[in-house]
Amino acid sequence: MMTVLAAAAEGGNVATELAREFGWNKILFIAQVINFILVIFVLKTFAFKPILAILEQRSKRIEEGEEKLKRIETQLAESEKATAETIEKANADAKRLIEEAKASAVTLSEEKAQEAISSAQAILAKAEEAAKAERATMVTELKKDFGRLVAATTTQVTGKVLSEADQKTINEDALAAVEG
Amino acid sequence: MAAEGGHHALPKNAVQLSESLPFITNSYVATWLAVLVIILFCRAGAGKLAMVPKGFQNFAEWVVESLYSFFAGVLGDHLAKRTFWFFGSVFLLIIINNYLGLIPGVGTVGWDVGHDGHVYKPILRGGNADVNMTSAMALTFAILWFYWAITENGIKGFLAHIFAPKGKFKGLLLPMMIMIFAIVGVLEIVSIAIRPLALSFRLFGNIYGGEQTLELLMGLGGTWFAWLSSLPFYFIELLVGGVQALVFSLLCAVFLKLICEHDEHDESAEH
Repeated sequence: MMTVLAAAAEGGNVATELAREFGWNKILFIAQVINFILVIFVLKTFAFKPILAILEQRSKRIEEGEEKLKRIETQLAESEKATAETIEKANADAKRLIEEAKASAVTLSEEKAQEAISSAQAILAKAEEAAKAERATMVTELKKDFGRLVAATTTQVTGKVLSEADQKTINEDALAAVEG
Repeated sequence: MAAEGGHHALPKNAVQLSESLPFITNSYVATWLAVLVIILFCRAGAGKLAMVPKGFQNFAEWVVESLYSFFAGVLGDHLAKRTFWFFGSVFLLIIINNYLGLIPGVGTVGWDVGHDGHVYKPILRGGNADVNMTSAMALTFAILWFYWAITENGIKGFLAHIFAPKGKFKGLLLPMMIMIFAIVGVLEIVSIAIRPLALSFRLFGNIYGGEQTLELLMGLGGTWFAWLSSLPFYFIELLVGGVQALVFSLLCAVFLKLICEHDEHDESAEH
């Protein structure tokens, strides 16, 4: 360093003195520049470029993933909302249907009851009619039997054979006496 | 190499190892080792890149991504994209060179061993303890700095950056300011011219100084305890190695940012 300062004081070439003092020379300098350029080339081509590219690619993928996730979340929320709405609507429909069914069941039951009453009444009426017809038949038969009995009794009491006209008159008199 | 004051001093220049190949010095060989480490780093870390990183790829990605984010923070995204290959390379080469220089054997294994065991021609010497290496990086940056400054600003913008008055002046103040800023511009040119020299000698001085200190401390420990006397300083040198790589590359980035920076106030006023 002293030689550099001495050179400066004497007005000599400081740069040359400085270079000599620290061992700087053109050949070594160029060799180191080549080394440095080689390092730059190797790092740029085989490290920085591919690594930065993959980092960018990865960050793009993450961004896309985030976007997709947001989209999926929105879709899920929409779908949940739609599902809730559908369920709510279905519930309302079901309620309405139940109410309608209940109302319809009441009406139907009333109708059926009426029908049952009507058919019961019809059965009763028929039964009454049948009973009446049976009674009439029985009465007719009884009358016939009664007539025969009266005719037979009269024949036995009087001891004469009655004509058909006599029998008819006796029957009519006897029936009139019973009915009267 | 006899030392001043009875101690062995490290020579300021790298030692030539071959007579036929004058550029083969011990620093040059160390730099080649650094290049080899860098090649291995590329091969192991970025040889087969997978979308899901594993193993050494994680480390390589961490290194590159951290460096890129750091320089993008200083330079901005646009400049970082254009220039990262340079700043990343400078940082990695300097730090690897610095740490390789700390490996035991560097500076202590070689030829011409003196009676006291001192090695006068070590096979390896810290790559950045050679001013040829540091000046190679600094001058390459200086050239690239001009190229980037002109392509970013245009020649007119580049000159305006250096000489034009900063701010809005009217009336008599304007010619005065033009004169003042012209003088400031000349000073700026001197500062620009000195930058490569300052960058070269800052890095060289710190690394050479560190190696010199280690050498002296080893001398204090004698034959058997040389390792112990120098051990504490190794930790400081680990820190210095990283800091100097950061300082060199950061200063380069700041110099570039300063020349490419656009005055936002002027631009908004023009709009």
